[in-house]
Amino acid sequence: MLPALRRCRPGPVPLPALAAALGPGAFPGLGPGPFPGLCPAWSPRAVPARGRKTRHDPPAKSKAGRVKLPPPVDPEELLVVLERYRQHRLVLSALRAEFRAEVLQRKREERLAAEGSVEELEEHRRLMAWNEEENARQRARREERLRKEEEEQKRRKLEIAEKQARKMEAFLEEKEKEVLQLQEEAKNFITPENLEARIEECLDNPRNYNFAIDKDGRIVKRTVLS
Amino acid sequence: AFSAGSRLLRGRGGHVVIRFALGGCTNRPFFRIVAANSRRARDGKYLEQLGCLDPLPNAHGEKVAGLNLERLRYWLGCGAQLSRPAEKLLGRPGAGAGMGTGGPGLAPALTASYRAGLAGFLPLHPMTVTGAERLRRRRQREQQPEAAPAEGSAEPGTGT
Repeated sequence: MLPALRRCRPGPVPLPALAAALGPGAFPGLGPGPFPGLCPAWSPRAVPARGRKTRHDPPAKSKAGRVKLPPPVDPEELLVVLERYRQHRLVLSALRAEFRAEVLQRKREERLAAEGSVEELEEHRRLMAWNEEENARQRARREERLRKEEEEQKRRKLEIAEKQARKMEAFLEEKEKEVLQLQEEAKNFITPENLEARIEECLDNPRNYNFAIDKDGRIVKRTVLS
Repeated sequence: AFSAGSRLLRGRGGHVVIRFALGGCTNRPFFRIVAANSRRARDGKYLEQLGCLDPLPNAHGEKVAGLNLERLRYWLGCGAQLSRPAEKLLGRPGAGAGMGTGGPGLAPALTASYRAGLAGFLPLHPMTVTGAERLRRRRQREQQPEAAPAEGSAEPGTGT
């Protein structure tokens, strides 16, 4: 509620029924009864008032026992007045909204008018269309280029893949060959089972390693001394 | 002078207000209805004058006021507040029906939507209505004591 409500005194203001004064639809929820629980939260203060004296001057002796009471307030009338204020503010805010809309509309029209007349709009549109065409052309060229580049890339990728595949194949072949060779050589390996036999064989067939080899790889069996 | 005004206006706060600026001479007031910053002096620099009001009745017993409704609507649309007497003035039944010496007051241009429900340019202020009611009641109460002593004097006259 209003802070003024707290400051006011529920005075014995003799007034007839005021509900009729507001008209229909005044009290939607509450009835025109006495205001509930109105406790004035004021206290008589002895501060200097305005006029000839400043706030630092003490009050006169004649005002020593003065008790200042707030103005009397009739609760019914207060409710009526509050309701009227509420409706009034509602209407005012609606009006303000309408005026605001009007102002904005006018500003918008002004802006549109200031932007240019019909010829300028026409030229603007023409230029925009030309710009669109240019953009389209550029886009076409760009797309061509991109497509070509993509194809190039794909081709390169394919080549690389093929090379890789070939390399892998070659490698595998090499490895296969090596494996086979190893398998073949494995037949001549010395295993614990062959050991005795091979030793016997070596002992039986002495080989002469008494030769030299020159830079060209030819074996030289004849030495200088002999 | 420039710095004084700008120190008022440079800080935060302050809003546009449509209020009365008092002018005239001793015992001869004259109000200008004015849109100004709320922190300006009452008679100080204003944004725009929206009309005037002569509070003293003229030779024909009329109190004349002039309003520029178009600019009023503009300022209200820009979010101006109204002082209480300005609201009461604008809510008076004569305000919308074409004021006296208004500017290009577009009274006929008011749309039917907010013409239908209003008496004036703005709706009637609640305190106007309340004040009128109180006055009427006080007058009734004054008439009743006059009637009661008249009856009281008449009855003993007829009784005796």
